[in-house]
Amino acid sequence: MAGKIDAQLKTLDIDLPDAPAPIGSYVPYVVTGNLVFISGQIPFKDGELTYVGTVGTELSVEDGQAAARQCALNILAQLKAACGGNLDKVVRCVRVGGYVNATTEFTQHPIVMNGASDLMVAVFGENGRHARFAVGAGELPAGAAVEVEAVFEIG
Amino acid sequence: MGAIDRRLAELGVELPPPHIPPPDFANYIPFTRAGNLLHIAGEGPIVDSELLYEGKVGREFSEEAGRAAARIVGLNILTHVKVALDGELDRVRRCVRLFGLINVAPGFNDVATVLNGASDLMVEVFGEQGRHSRVAIGAVGLPLGMAIEIESLFEVA
Repeated sequence: MAGKIDAQLKTLDIDLPDAPAPIGSYVPYVVTGNLVFISGQIPFKDGELTYVGTVGTELSVEDGQAAARQCALNILAQLKAACGGNLDKVVRCVRVGGYVNATTEFTQHPIVMNGASDLMVAVFGENGRHARFAVGAGELPAGAAVEVEAVFEIG
Repeated sequence: MGAIDRRLAELGVELPPPHIPPPDFANYIPFTRAGNLLHIAGEGPIVDSELLYEGKVGREFSEEAGRAAARIVGLNILTHVKVALDGELDRVRRCVRLFGLINVAPGFNDVATVLNGASDLMVEVFGEQGRHSRVAIGAVGLPLGMAIEIESLFEVA
């Protein structure tokens, strides 16, 4: 039976992607105590990396936001796996970290990262609200425009 | 008044008012707590809604100015810790981790010294419990063009 969060995903017309495999020598998530640490996710979609390049030159702020949202969808896919398929075990989104492949004079990283943060709030409501940082990075894995990591508390 | 409040007074330190970003610009909250861990969101050198250090260390700002900016960020962090603990800073068990993101001009690599502005503050305020693990990186850019952003983690009671 689908849980409350699955129902909310359906309401939002979101089909969670398959959780992407790591692209290096690491695991996609680690559960320790009540915390789940999700590795940095890049905007893979159906096995293809979407949004490659630098925000502020090749890519617009809106592209960056869409990339961040795709990263967040992959985070939710990893989180679901970490919860044994039951997203209702999520107590809250604790922390989101955002790395934006951006130019040296770019300053709209928070707007880009809202693409991920807004999704967390849409899915988990008040429990989706989180602490966050955002930073401009020089290069990201595979040329990705955005990489997002996250920590969740589960029950 | 708690021991840490007295310590702040001894140091002549006054905590700034909490800065909360407008949600339409940045949809996050200043802190979350999970168990005994208090996660403080990335803070910048913003006081009374004014960004005091806008630019890059190694271009607009010297290493020394960067260190001063880091100290202000440290004070903003303490403000949010205090709010999270209902005003009782004595409930801080230790500062666990600082993640310092420094907006640098190409070639500037003295990011460790810059971050000391915040690290030294933690030790001045909390003593041995203020000693923490840390990461310092030079960032290509930061939100709003701020010179430094620090994310932090505390163990609290």
